[in-house]
Amino acid sequence: MRVIIFSWEYPPRVVGQLAHYVKELATQLTKNKIETHVVTYHDYLIGESIEPDGTKIFRVTNPVRTHIGVLTWVLTLNQEVERATAEIYYRTDGKVDLIDAHDWHFIPAAVTLKKALGIPFIYSVESLEEHRSHGANSPFNMAIKSIEWLGMYEAKKLIVKSKLMQDEVFRIYKVPLEKIDVVQPKPQGELNNILEIYCAVARGETTQ
Amino acid sequence: MRDLTVMMLTWEFPPRIIGGISPHVYNLSRSLAKMGVKVYVVTCDFPGASQHEVLDGVEVFRVDSYKNPSPDFATWVYLMNVNMQKEAAALVKSLGGKVDVLHAHDWLVANAGIGLKHVFRKPLLATIHSTEIGRRNGIHFDYERMIHETEAWLTYEAWKVICCSDYMISHVKWAFGLPEDKLVMVPNGVNLDVYLKNEAESLRQFRNKFALPEEKIVLFVGRLVYEKGVHVLVNAVPKVLEKVNAKFIIVGNGYMKEQLSDLIRTMGLSHKVLFTGFLDDETLRKLQKCADVSVVPSLFEPFGIVALEAMAAKSPVVVSDTGGLSEIVEHDVDGVKVYVNNPESLAWGIIKVLTDEKYAHWISANAFKKVRENYNWNEIANQTKSVYEVVLGEYSKSAWA
Repeated sequence: MRVIIFSWEYPPRVVGQLAHYVKELATQLTKNKIETHVVTYHDYLIGESIEPDGTKIFRVTNPVRTHIGVLTWVLTLNQEVERATAEIYYRTDGKVDLIDAHDWHFIPAAVTLKKALGIPFIYSVESLEEHRSHGANSPFNMAIKSIEWLGMYEAKKLIVKSKLMQDEVFRIYKVPLEKIDVVQPKPQGELNNILEIYCAVARGETTQ
Repeated sequence: MRDLTVMMLTWEFPPRIIGGISPHVYNLSRSLAKMGVKVYVVTCDFPGASQHEVLDGVEVFRVDSYKNPSPDFATWVYLMNVNMQKEAAALVKSLGGKVDVLHAHDWLVANAGIGLKHVFRKPLLATIHSTEIGRRNGIHFDYERMIHETEAWLTYEAWKVICCSDYMISHVKWAFGLPEDKLVMVPNGVNLDVYLKNEAESLRQFRNKFALPEEKIVLFVGRLVYEKGVHVLVNAVPKVLEKVNAKFIIVGNGYMKEQLSDLIRTMGLSHKVLFTGFLDDETLRKLQKCADVSVVPSLFEPFGIVALEAMAAKSPVVVSDTGGLSEIVEHDVDGVKVYVNNPESLAWGIIKVLTDEKYAHWISANAFKKVRENYNWNEIANQTKSVYEVVLGEYSKSAWA
């Protein structure tokens, strides 16, 4: 199986806890003989590299250097994520089984790649704009929420880290509960669940 | 070999008309279709327009253009591109990938064009109709720089960059540091047929709605923004009125409207200047045919399509000697050129045309001939098709083919 993970942070770029989580996930996947690619952002350490454990990293930077906010920054970075993913896709004769997009940043790329190349994607929800913005609903927050919604609508599966998040995704976005899997990040055992979900999505066994 | 297939990306397409890109893409697309090119247009939706239709042989797809309130225009553009790219991707997939060329018009569709290029590995062409650095007369804020860099990004990713005048070629080359061989000049055009209708009788009545019989009509058509130089015309109004009895008709909307009409009021000239706002095509065309002189006083003008339209309507033109206008008009032959941002010079040009009927007739007749010969859409579509063929020839030898 060949999996591409999207994350806007990955060591050495660490913004929050997502970077370490994704690194651990990628390491475990590689250990389990899954060919794992991580497409991520770095300001200047760009291009492809291979981690000592065999995980393949593809770092891209933003072709538009000046920005007025995180939203415009994210939205112009997505095309580079698409370019990197397309490189992997065409190099492997289209044998990419699924994309696992962490948080909302690269959802536009995941959706386009699904529509264009038929690669199914999982949306791993780390946090929600509703919580981050404490209920503020400015046009800026609304735009991020609309991207979160798009991801939830187009994804084959959602993975969340707690029952609370499952309830919140259900409450805010009205996503059917059976579309949302809870995988609690524990040092042992977490991967088994994720692998099952990956396999189901890759084989097209999900209801959506 | 099957027909050449092109996918046009544009943020405006009739009936959605904001600026010059809409009529440009419409005329280019249908002229290409007439020549046997299969054209798909992906554009923003518009109230009352259908999501999918075939218009003069062109397949038009209108996509949801993100209708939540947006923080600002540029952010809206990027959000709209998320939808446009998604829908266009689904369309290309449904066609089995049978699209040969992607053609993007301005930075407004840069993201969608670039994204589609990479996921389908198809050649991307860009037409640069205008630039932020030109519109703003420099880059002063991060907001403008972001747009400027998005334009640069589009030209970087494009296989070829089309501009509609020699002036724009050199401007774009300078603004983005592009190599000469990446740039191609294909002029803009005007659809002459719509001006040829004989309607002299109804025009007389129509004219009375706008001006007294003894008043000459001075017409301005354009967005009421700084770069269009409408304030230069307003400052020329009293100077013209010293010599000629005229009515100034200003068609279009923009952020300077309030400011300009206030200025007119303080001058005590409200009865001589009429702001019509945005007009439909039919009314505008009639007005252009009635105009005793059409003025284009732009400070920055990549091409100057309104000058061509006036020339097609056989209205004599007075233009500022800048950008594309300098190339369209030959002074004293098919129009009058005046100094840029200079109300005295503009007034001089207007007075010259309005007080010498023989001269006015001579330049407008020459202008009409020029438009018919040099700026017709069949010729332009032909040239554009050749650009597609050159790109496809190069593409066929590339690693992506």
